Amino acid sequence: MTPANVDTLPFNRGRQAREAEVMLDKLVDEFTDNPAAMAYFYDLFRRVYIQGEALERPAAPQVGMTCIQVPEELIYAVGATPVRLCNGAYHYDQIGADFMPAKSCSLVKATLGRLQDQEMGVPRVGKLDMIVNPSTCDQKKKAGAMMEEMGYAVHHLEFPNVKESEAARIYWQRSVRDFAVQLQKLTGKRLTRKRLNQAMARTRRAQTAFRALHNLRKQAPSVVLGKDVFLVTNAYFFDDLERWTDAVEALVAELKERAAAGFNAAQRKAPRILFTGSPPVFPNLKLPLLIEEAGGVVVADETCSANRMLYDMPVVDEWLVNHMVDSLADHYLKPCTCPIFTRNDDRCRRLLDLVRDFEADGVVYQAYSGCQVYEMEQRSVGKVLNEAGIPMLYVETDYSPDDMGQLSTRIEAFLESIKTRKRQRAASGGQA
Amino acid sequence: MNWFVGIDIGSTAIKAALVDGDGQLVGVHVTDSGSLFHKNAKAALQALLDGHGLQREQVSYLIATGYGRKLFKEADDSISEITANAIGAHEAGKAHGGVRTIINIGGQDSKAIQIDDQGTVVNFAMNDKCAAGTGRFLDVAAANLDIDLEQLGDYHFNGKGAPLTINSTCTVFAESEIIGLLANGHGKEEIVAGIHYSIAKRTLRLAKRVGIEDRVYFDGGPALNRGLVAALQDELQRELVVPEHPQTTTAFGAAILARAEWLAERRGV
Repeated sequence: MTPANVDTLPFNRGRQAREAEVMLDKLVDEFTDNPAAMAYFYDLFRRVYIQGEALERPAAPQVGMTCIQVPEELIYAVGATPVRLCNGAYHYDQIGADFMPAKSCSLVKATLGRLQDQEMGVPRVGKLDMIVNPSTCDQKKKAGAMMEEMGYAVHHLEFPNVKESEAARIYWQRSVRDFAVQLQKLTGKRLTRKRLNQAMARTRRAQTAFRALHNLRKQAPSVVLGKDVFLVTNAYFFDDLERWTDAVEALVAELKERAAAGFNAAQRKAPRILFTGSPPVFPNLKLPLLIEEAGGVVVADETCSANRMLYDMPVVDEWLVNHMVDSLADHYLKPCTCPIFTRNDDRCRRLLDLVRDFEADGVVYQAYSGCQVYEMEQRSVGKVLNEAGIPMLYVETDYSPDDMGQLSTRIEAFLESIKTRKRQRAASGGQA
Repeated sequence: MNWFVGIDIGSTAIKAALVDGDGQLVGVHVTDSGSLFHKNAKAALQALLDGHGLQREQVSYLIATGYGRKLFKEADDSISEITANAIGAHEAGKAHGGVRTIINIGGQDSKAIQIDDQGTVVNFAMNDKCAAGTGRFLDVAAANLDIDLEQLGDYHFNGKGAPLTINSTCTVFAESEIIGLLANGHGKEEIVAGIHYSIAKRTLRLAKRVGIEDRVYFDGGPALNRGLVAALQDELQRELVVPEHPQTTTAFGAAILARAEWLAERRGV
C-alpha cells in the first residue's frame, strides 16, 4: 500500500498531519549528528502521525490506557495488547474543547478529541475493546464518563488520592484485583502465575533497555539529546513491545560506541536541564525542543510520558497469583509521584535525586494551563529546589504553538543565567 | 574611538542605544516596530548613527535583543532581553545606589527580574501568553476612552473620585468593562486610575513570584506614564527608580554587553 500524500488527505487529517510534520522536521533536521538508530523512531512517527498508517496489532483484544497507573503486565498476561491513548496534538485539543471547558488541560482535551474519531484518529490503533481510565485527576475522571458517551467500554480503575495509608493501599489492591477480573472476562483467558511471570519478563526487558538509555544520560558531556529520548519513550505508547525494545537496545549500543569515541551531543558547556511537570507527548514536544534549540540539553526528566513510565521494573514473585497481583499493585502505587496525591514529598525527593545523579544545572517545570495539580505543586517544588540552590523555570503553556516566541526568550534567559552563575562560581572559586 | 550598539527589537518599538569606548551612553533612538520590523530595525540603526555622524564600520560590536533579535543578521551576536535588561538596569541603577529588582512592562509582555549585586539574573518571571497588564492593554484602554496614550498620566491625577475597580485581567474583557463604566456615566479620570491600579496589582503578583528587593527599577515604555508609576508605587509600597529613558534600558544593556564582548574577544586574540 502506498502511503497517503499529506496534501490529498481530508482537511481535518491534513491539519493533524501537518502539525506532526512541522514538529518532526524540526526534531530531525535542526540537529546534526542524530544517532543512526534513531531512524527507526523518526520513521515510525512519520508513518504513524504524518502518513496516518494504521498500526499493525495482533488479533487479540486491545486495551486503551489513559494513564501510566494501569498495570500493563496484567493486560499482556491475559493475552491482550495495551495502547496508551494520551494525545499530544493541538488539532485534537481543539476538537476536545467541544467536550471539556476551554480552560481545561490540553492533554485531556486532545485525548478526547482523538477518541472522538474512532476510525481515522491518529495514531490509528484500530478497535479498542476496552479503555481503562484510572480515577486520578478530576479532568481525567470526567473524561472517562465522556468516553462512555462516545460508545467505548470504559473501565474506571479506582485510584486513591493518598498513597501512604494502609487504607489506600488495600483500596488500590482491591481495585487492581477487580481490574484483573474484568480483563479475564474480556479475553476469556485465565490469569495464572506463569502467564503473569511471562508478561513481566517481557516488560522487564523493555524497562531494562530504557534504564540503560536513561543511565547513559548521566554522562557529561551528553551522548544523547532529550528530544530523541522523548520520541523513544513516546513510541512506547503504541509500538509493539518487542520491536520497541530491540530498537532501544540498538540505540543504546550505538550511544555506547559514541560515548567511547568521546562524542558530544551538545556543546561542552551546554546547561544540563532536568524536565518535570506535565508530560510532553508528540507532536507537542515544544518545550524540550525549545530548550535544546537554545543550546541546553535535557539530561533527565520526571514526567509520566517518559521516565516515570519506564524507570521502575517490577520483580514480583509470590506463591499465589492473587498475591502477585497485590504486589504489582503496590509497585504502581508507592513510587508514583503524580501530583494528584494529597502529599507529594516523594516527588521533591525524586527531583533532588535526579538533579544530583544527572548533574543538572537547572529544572524546567512545565504545567499545562488548566492542570491545576501541576500548577499548584510548582510552588512547593520551586521552594525545595531553590533551597537546594537549583534554579527552576516554571512555564505554563498548552498545545498551541503561538507562544513559542515568548517561551524561547524565557528559556534563553534561563540558560544564560545558568551560564553566568557558573562562570561567577568558577571565578570566585578560583580566587579562594 | 570605538563605538558599541545595542538594538532592542520589541513588539511595539525598536530601541537602539549607542555607547562609547568607556561604556558611557551617548545616544538613543526609538521608533515604531511596524510590520516590517527588519527594515525598520535597519532604519533605526542608521538613524542612530546619522544622529552622531557615524558610519556602520565605526561600530566595533553590535548586539541584538528583543523578539526580533534572531532575524537581525547585521548584529554580531544576540542575547535575550531578560539578560540585556538586567545588565542595563544594573548599570543605570548604580547612580541610584544599586537596584535588585527590575519590573519591565513592554508592548506585549511584562517581566519581573531579580538580580544580584553583579547584575546577574537570579530569578525572573514573565506573564504567560496574555497581554493583560502590558502596554497593549493601555493602548486598547486609551482607544476605548478616546484619549491619547500620552494623556493617561494627566487623567490619572485629575480624578475627583476614587479610582474605579477594573476586575477583568483580560484585555478583551476589560475593554467591555470599560465601555460599561462609561455607559454608567463614570468619569474618564476615575476609569484611567482604575486601569492603572489594575495593571499595578497584576504586576505586584508577578513581582512577588521572584521576590521584591530594594531598590526596584521600573522600565519599558509604560514607565513613561506617571499615573501608572504612582499606582505601582502605591501597590508595591516602595519608591521606584524610573530612568530618564525607560524604553531604552534593554538596548543600553545590550550595548554594554557588546562592549564587554568586544573587549573579551580582543583579550582572547
